[in-house]
Amino acid sequence: MKIAVMSCIHGNYEALNAVLSDIDDQNADKVYCLGDLVGYGPHPNAVVEMIRALDIPTCQGCWDEDIVEGLNSCECSYPSVLAEKRGKVAHDWTNQVIHPEVREYLAQLPLSLRDDNLCFVHGSPHNQHEYLMPEVDAFVAMERVLATGADILFCGHTHVPYVRSLDVGQLQIRVKLTGKSEPQNTSFSAPLKRIVNAGSVGEPRHGRPNATYVIYDNDTDQITLREVEYDYQKTCAAIIENGLPPVFAWRLSKGLEYAERADDPTHVCER
Amino acid sequence: MTNWAILSGIEGNLAAYEAVLADIKRQRQPIEELYILGDAIAAIPESTNVIQRIRSPRPDEPVPQVCQGWWEEQLLILHGLGRTGEPTELIERYGIEMVKTLWDAIPREMVEWVRSLDFGLFELDCLLIHGSSVDVGDELTPDTPAIQMLDRLMRMDANMLFCGRSGLTFQYEIQQGSVTSSITTLDQVTTPQAILVKPRQVIGVGNIGRIPGQATYTLYNPYTNHIEFRTVRYGSGKGFQPLKDKLFPPLNNRLMT
Ligand SMILES: [Zn+2]
Ligand SMILES: [Zn+2]
Repeated sequence: MKIAVMSCIHGNYEALNAVLSDIDDQNADKVYCLGDLVGYGPHPNAVVEMIRALDIPTCQGCWDEDIVEGLNSCECSYPSVLAEKRGKVAHDWTNQVIHPEVREYLAQLPLSLRDDNLCFVHGSPHNQHEYLMPEVDAFVAMERVLATGADILFCGHTHVPYVRSLDVGQLQIRVKLTGKSEPQNTSFSAPLKRIVNAGSVGEPRHGRPNATYVIYDNDTDQITLREVEYDYQKTCAAIIENGLPPVFAWRLSKGLEYAERADDPTHVCER
Repeated sequence: MTNWAILSGIEGNLAAYEAVLADIKRQRQPIEELYILGDAIAAIPESTNVIQRIRSPRPDEPVPQVCQGWWEEQLLILHGLGRTGEPTELIERYGIEMVKTLWDAIPREMVEWVRSLDFGLFELDCLLIHGSSVDVGDELTPDTPAIQMLDRLMRMDANMLFCGRSGLTFQYEIQQGSVTSSITTLDQVTTPQAILVKPRQVIGVGNIGRIPGQATYTLYNPYTNHIEFRTVRYGSGKGFQPLKDKLFPPLNNRLMT
């Protein structure tokens, strides 16, 4: 069975349509979405309506949460100070145009989804706002997969797709308790675990403007990173027409955002 | 040479704290640093005496360095100074009455001091914290999975993590480890790389005040990495009062396990 996984649509209806038809062309049997349906882009309502109409199981992204809960004090919804300034404008705009039933839908989205040995989250299993960058230490990455009990962890939030394989993990441990003079030696081992980042449909940052998502085939155990061209100029024009910061149109056309490079990618919000 | 004493969970038990301070003074190697990893207070009025004692060390005592524990966090939440707004955890654990009990136990002027405490302390390559780098309530025990221990250490890039949430004394060494990692992006595939773990440890430092008559704490030497757990018995059950410490110095109350 082919399972398509997408994330971070960010109100980009053009990109969503292109990805959905590519998913059709690839004959995927199932589709999952890892959240961030809204924010940055000009069509948050249309995107949510489409996801709902197709009944795509979706978990809640950081933007979906912030629209429901309101931005609160911790600035870590954004990777850097510059990104935060721009993000606030987009947040206010989205917050104004969003329909009440769309807000209700975003509010009830689950933080994670499970399908057999697969787990789906937005950022990391511990926090929607945590960036699981490919550079994250291999053991930290392994902990994130093991924390879910799954073999493959699908995440998004970084907007750059990747597949990370963590194989033959092992640890040697010695535990000493008071009262018991003999320390206990144990070992831990983990079979192959994988992290699959689905990239971003509507706000890609891998260096090209194309939408990205992934397909997992559980018969062949193959993971394919998909890159889909679409008419991004249309979205760029709509961004400007709607009075959103023009820099969002610029970065969409480049598929890059320097300000989005996280100041501290491992920061975990404590609110 | 520097020797540290690390303790947690006085929980308002001044007699226990005095017994441990006395035990610290009796060490052959002088103790230069004293770390208190939170829960200096509990929801009892005696906590005030403990705070006063911590804040006024005697000239021959190390100045305690204190971080917040679970009880301090609950207190700050009640006063609207916490990282979350609602005392849900306090109520879940102890019932709604505990809100008033804790509120009444600690006078307002003490709250400012509690507020000034750090969430954790980082000295040399050691993280000293009540729970863990994840949360003040995160309870690490000898049974915590190794990968979770490693995550708590690596979040702060610490080689040693001293914690007190469980109240247990334990030494949990991650001696070695490896994993093979490879990454595929749209533009490149990296060849599988073996990633090794450098040895790291999590130390449960014990608990001072919870069990009447018995306090446990930890001595550490950051140069030799030597860990020693101490159990101090005190109080009338042991045939003497803590105040008599000066008269009957070492014998009775320094049973070490
Ligand atoms: Zn996103
Ligand atoms: Zn996100």
